[in-house]
Amino acid sequence: MTEKKPSLVTRRDFGRLALGASTIIAAPAILTRPVRAQIAPGSRLVVGIWGGAQERITRQFIAEPLMERYGVEIEYVLGGTPERRARAYQERGRPSFDVIYLNIFESRQAVKDGVTQAARDIENSDDLYELAKLGGYGVAFNAVTPVYDATMVDAPMTSWADFWRPDLAGKIAWPTYPGAQGTAALLMAARLNGGDEYNIDPGFKAVAELKPFAAFQGSQAQLYGMFDADQVAASAEFGSFTQKYADTQNPDIMVSKPSEGMPVAMNVACITEGTENQALAEAWVSLHLSEACQRAYAEEIYYGPTIKSLELPPELAAKCVYGEEDVANLIDFDWEHVIAQQGAWSSRFNREIQS
Amino acid sequence: MGLWLAIGFAAPMLTVTLLSLQAETGVFAPVSLVPSPAQFAAVLGDVYYLGILFQTLWTGLATAFLSAVLGLPLALWLASLPARWQPLGVALVLIPLLTNVVVRSIGFILFMASNGPLASLTGIDILFTRAAVIVALTQVFMPFLVMALFDALSTRDARIDEAASSLGATPTDRFWHVTLPIALPALRAGVTIVFLLSATAYVSATLIGGGKVWVIGRLVYEEALLIQNYPLASALALVLLAACLAVTWLLNVVFARMTPWLQPQERRASTAGPGVTLPPRLRRALRAVAPTVRFALLAMALFLLVGPLVFVAVNSVNDVPQATAAAWRGFTLRWYVQIFSEGSNYIDAAILSAQLAGISATCAVLVALPASFALVRRRSRAVTVAGGLYLLPLALPGIALALGVLRLLQWFYAIPPFLGLVVVHVVLVAPFTLVMLRAAVDSLDIRLEEAAASLGARPMRSFVLVVVPALAPALFASGVIAFLVSFGEVTVTAFLTTARMLTLPVRIYADVQFDVEPTVNVISVLTIVMTVLALAAVNRIVGLDRVWRR
Repeated sequence: MTEKKPSLVTRRDFGRLALGASTIIAAPAILTRPVRAQIAPGSRLVVGIWGGAQERITRQFIAEPLMERYGVEIEYVLGGTPERRARAYQERGRPSFDVIYLNIFESRQAVKDGVTQAARDIENSDDLYELAKLGGYGVAFNAVTPVYDATMVDAPMTSWADFWRPDLAGKIAWPTYPGAQGTAALLMAARLNGGDEYNIDPGFKAVAELKPFAAFQGSQAQLYGMFDADQVAASAEFGSFTQKYADTQNPDIMVSKPSEGMPVAMNVACITEGTENQALAEAWVSLHLSEACQRAYAEEIYYGPTIKSLELPPELAAKCVYGEEDVANLIDFDWEHVIAQQGAWSSRFNREIQS
Repeated sequence: MGLWLAIGFAAPMLTVTLLSLQAETGVFAPVSLVPSPAQFAAVLGDVYYLGILFQTLWTGLATAFLSAVLGLPLALWLASLPARWQPLGVALVLIPLLTNVVVRSIGFILFMASNGPLASLTGIDILFTRAAVIVALTQVFMPFLVMALFDALSTRDARIDEAASSLGATPTDRFWHVTLPIALPALRAGVTIVFLLSATAYVSATLIGGGKVWVIGRLVYEEALLIQNYPLASALALVLLAACLAVTWLLNVVFARMTPWLQPQERRASTAGPGVTLPPRLRRALRAVAPTVRFALLAMALFLLVGPLVFVAVNSVNDVPQATAAAWRGFTLRWYVQIFSEGSNYIDAAILSAQLAGISATCAVLVALPASFALVRRRSRAVTVAGGLYLLPLALPGIALALGVLRLLQWFYAIPPFLGLVVVHVVLVAPFTLVMLRAAVDSLDIRLEEAAASLGARPMRSFVLVVVPALAPALFASGVIAFLVSFGEVTVTAFLTTARMLTLPVRIYADVQFDVEPTVNVISVLTIVMTVLALAAVNRIVGLDRVWRR
């Protein structure tokens, strides 16, 4: 969707005209309440999401049912989070996307910045965990945790503090900052040493003690390449998909359950501020929160369901973030504060850690 | 021609310049028209940034040097191949350009890993160092240099070699005193391209460097997309641009010193030939080892081009769920089946990419041809400056251009999406065609045209019958390179794609953001096979061998 067609105006009801007008005069987005409207056949929904398994699952469980039920078109703009987010920010108020997927800290900031909408009451959303109602609609829990190659370390890792064990020296692929994994690992390092997101200094000092690193990893795919080539012994990564990787490809890899708990990461479906397809976008998100879609995510890539009602078989549940207890144990941070520090921390990370 | 530059480059470039002069760095900070040197001061006053700038330039120069050392024997070998095998040889050289950067990098990591073939054969363990990055960059950018050289070497007059032999020159003498001097203009073009490409590249540095190797392009990416500090990112990009142009200028000076016979008469320092006179004993020793060295370099070059990609082909039929696998698990065709069954997505994207690349390459050649004549034949200051301007898109990290395009997205939305893509791609590939065509026009014998004119041919007629045939190999080579650069572009395109305009590399990029499935290997293999077939077909129809062996 690249241009606004004037002919669409005839199909809009008065409320939507008001919405359009208010975005044109750039009224603060928070004041304009999106108006519920009917889903018109032939409307086009533009969704920005990752490729691979996520594209496949959402096509099957969301896009196809929507197209069948409403006679609408669904268009995917595939890509990585940074590109998608940068584009959404540049298009604030005049979005070419209707729904975009972001990570936990980016999503809360995007709501604050008026780029995407806060969660409202939509179908299936009352079943969400409270944590998943922030910054949009959380669709999958992910936790960041130490992962390691059992053949390359002396003993299993059971704590974040194990990164500082002598048998791991020089064998760690530390996650780069910024990024969900790098942010989580840095914050945990601070916590272990008496700091937190407001006092990050102990974190930087502790991570610097781990130098030299075998490498730095910027994505799970990159880390798996390093594991496959036997270049690194441990890292901090999403437990979910790493478990899948361990199950299907590299049985040496273990996903630890650290005693201090795991920082939360979450995929969030965000409806853009100023979308012309509010109802359809909400229908999309509702389907993502449906049991069928959540189950598929859990089965295929071990992503933890964000709705309370979904029942998973025990062996699958053990591999995901699942159930009230697991969710309650996830460590949440003041992400708005964290993202406000991003520039400064990134600069510091590059100079003190990653050099 | 000017319009292309205006829409596709000048506007984003001006945006980047304007952004670099902002004092406020917030993502929604209003753009101020009062220039502030704050960002440049932050970059130039910081030893950390200057250190990375220096390392970036050094990476580019080292890559260019290594490419020249390995590329020369390769180009000589390619030029000496029987005509019917040449398309295959060309395809072999182009293979690295046809594989996605992520796929290529995985191949390199397994190849250079401490338990991989390189370490076990030679004991060299350089993975996750700058040296590894330089080798990887050489692999993918050397083809540009080889193609430029190949054109120069295959159009050279065979009688010159015969004349040298008849005067008693050994093959080694011929190389140093005949072949190399003839190839120098093309070598200049190739070295310049490789330097600029490798100084602005950042994905390989990130992947092969294991996150430990920094280049300015990577800083620009991080500041622009992750931190959303556009002013600092813009300033970093412009500082790199200025430094790259300075180095390019130095390279030009060095090459001009080496080719006094190509300089205007009045500017020649002396009439002496190039090169240093070596003591006779050293020359004899050089002659003795030269064939072995040449063979060894050729073997290394071929190994480097093809080695890491054997892995791609093998893993495309490996029965593992992720493309990073180091071990063989069993034969399967299911990744191929997956591409073709659910794969109309991939096929549509491939068709779009091919159309885009075809149109962009054609436009780029048409734009660059007159421009290269102007640059070579009219040696005025204004023309030289214009020639420098054309190189700007090469010297700017792609991510910086992407940033400019991103800020102008609404503007790009006003034109049809395909046209927008073409505009940007022409700007991105035109410098390649210009550099290569300029070298070809440089070595064009103007007396041929004078002869044609004296025999009564009008300019148009002599252009079609004399100039175009003489430039045919260069036109073909630069067209192929332009096509491949456009076909593989992802940095800028990622921001301009819409749901209906999703190119193949952007699609692959989206897939590997989550998980590198073996289907990316299949796509690389299929792209390579298609290219070989296409080159063979072109050879059948228009006779590339005749183009090269007139």
